[in-house]
Amino acid sequence: MGESMYAYKCQTCGQLHHPAHVTCKKCGAREFEPVPLEGEGILLTYTRVYNLPEGYMKPFIPFGIVQFPNGLRVSGQMGTNDLEIGMKVKATVGIVKEGVGKDCYGFIFEKAD
Amino acid sequence: MREVGIVGVGHTKFGTAGVPLVDMLAQAALEALDDAGIKTVAGHGVDQVFVSSMGAGFLNRQHGVASALVDTLNLRPAMAETIENGPASGASAIKLGYMAIASGMCDVVLVVGGELMRLISGWEATDFVATMLHPEAEYNYGLTLPSLAGMFTRLCMEKYGIEEKDLALVSVKNHQNAMHNPGAHIQLVPDLYAITEDEDAIIINPHVAEPLHVYDVCPVSDGAAALVLCSMEVAERFVKKPVKISGIGQATDTHAVAEREVPSDLLAVRLAAQQAYKMAGLTPQDIDVAELHDAFVILEIVESEEVGFFPRGEGHLAVRRGDTKIGGKIPINTSGGLKAKGHPLGATGVSQIVELTRQLRGEADGRQVQGAKNALAINFGGFGNNVVATILTREED
Repeated sequence: MGESMYAYKCQTCGQLHHPAHVTCKKCGAREFEPVPLEGEGILLTYTRVYNLPEGYMKPFIPFGIVQFPNGLRVSGQMGTNDLEIGMKVKATVGIVKEGVGKDCYGFIFEKAD
Repeated sequence: MREVGIVGVGHTKFGTAGVPLVDMLAQAALEALDDAGIKTVAGHGVDQVFVSSMGAGFLNRQHGVASALVDTLNLRPAMAETIENGPASGASAIKLGYMAIASGMCDVVLVVGGELMRLISGWEATDFVATMLHPEAEYNYGLTLPSLAGMFTRLCMEKYGIEEKDLALVSVKNHQNAMHNPGAHIQLVPDLYAITEDEDAIIINPHVAEPLHVYDVCPVSDGAAALVLCSMEVAERFVKKPVKISGIGQATDTHAVAEREVPSDLLAVRLAAQQAYKMAGLTPQDIDVAELHDAFVILEIVESEEVGFFPRGEGHLAVRRGDTKIGGKIPINTSGGLKAKGHPLGATGVSQIVELTRQLRGEADGRQVQGAKNALAINFGGFGNNVVATILTREED
């Protein structure tokens, strides 16, 4: 996972995907073009999780599912603890899991201004 | 296709096994073989053994579990395979047993499901189960099954007016049922007031993944369950009258939950159930008792809608009316469900069918649904991305 996040656009029909697929979920074509997936979205649902898997040193992490204006819905961590369904959030990219020499980057959503 | 029946059931006491994996599996298997009247000597007649386990390789550093079990049970040279389909491994193994017999390849199949999970810490277990999630879009974020269940619960609460107390009502009902099931892990009933309204409720019943509390989530359990399946053509060989497997359905959904068309639906549950009803020639109204996969109690509510027992968005109202209690319109999770009986992953789908077979035989002491004829099980893999529905029918004499 790099330090930017992408949607994967079908070269044949234009359908957007996230995460990446091998075949287009609409037309079945196999060629995709990465397009940046960024900006603001709407928080559809969220949770604060207290029993975290191995490797996290925090008492809890907030997670959410966010819908972008292009219709794509993605899961991510929430950078804010002030959460409400329907609120506007802004996509940022950061380390979502630390590992020895293999940090994972992903969406961390912040409250939009 | 040949018809397939169940002629033997076995079940360990779920909880902490205290014995190695194969010994635990053997315990359930022997109970099922005894129930069917099969002796583990030459001429035993068992053609195939399927073992369902989600993670013996990971949890117990043991592979080739089915081969080991066949030898332990002295059932050589029966065919043997270990089946993995996440928490739906059990129902998948039963489905494959059904297919082996229906095809004519086998007459008698032993299905044994089991998981030995309590040897590792809670957070290692949570991480192990989370490896089913989408690696890049979910797992790498630290998302787990309880995280997805928490977000799913909040969506459903917002959309349908489900309250936290409705979840607790399901939990208390299942704990009450488990008190009558000697195989259940948890043998106590939480007090509804203490876990919801008491000033110390958040201490007694803390959040796991908001809005889910401890009493909304299944425990981590060891356990095994077993079935003897046979062709109806050879059923007279066995001690007990067979219970027929009348319908099986299975459906898959997107790997990443956020990608689903309607994230508050459990589409694979609906499709699997529809397929099973069609095969059995039955409708939801024909079902007398059901075991629904309540790893998180919200799932029992939404599954009860997706399988057609109640209109969409009204499952929690049925819980408030008591429709899903024993003696209600459609009793759900008479065994205690995953919530109270426990959820040893590979065992669960088999355990559900053990309970329903006992119900249809009239052997469910203390929790019997009177006159039950048709029964439905939903075994739910991933966060609903691979679901198996099974219908059993007691045939009239």
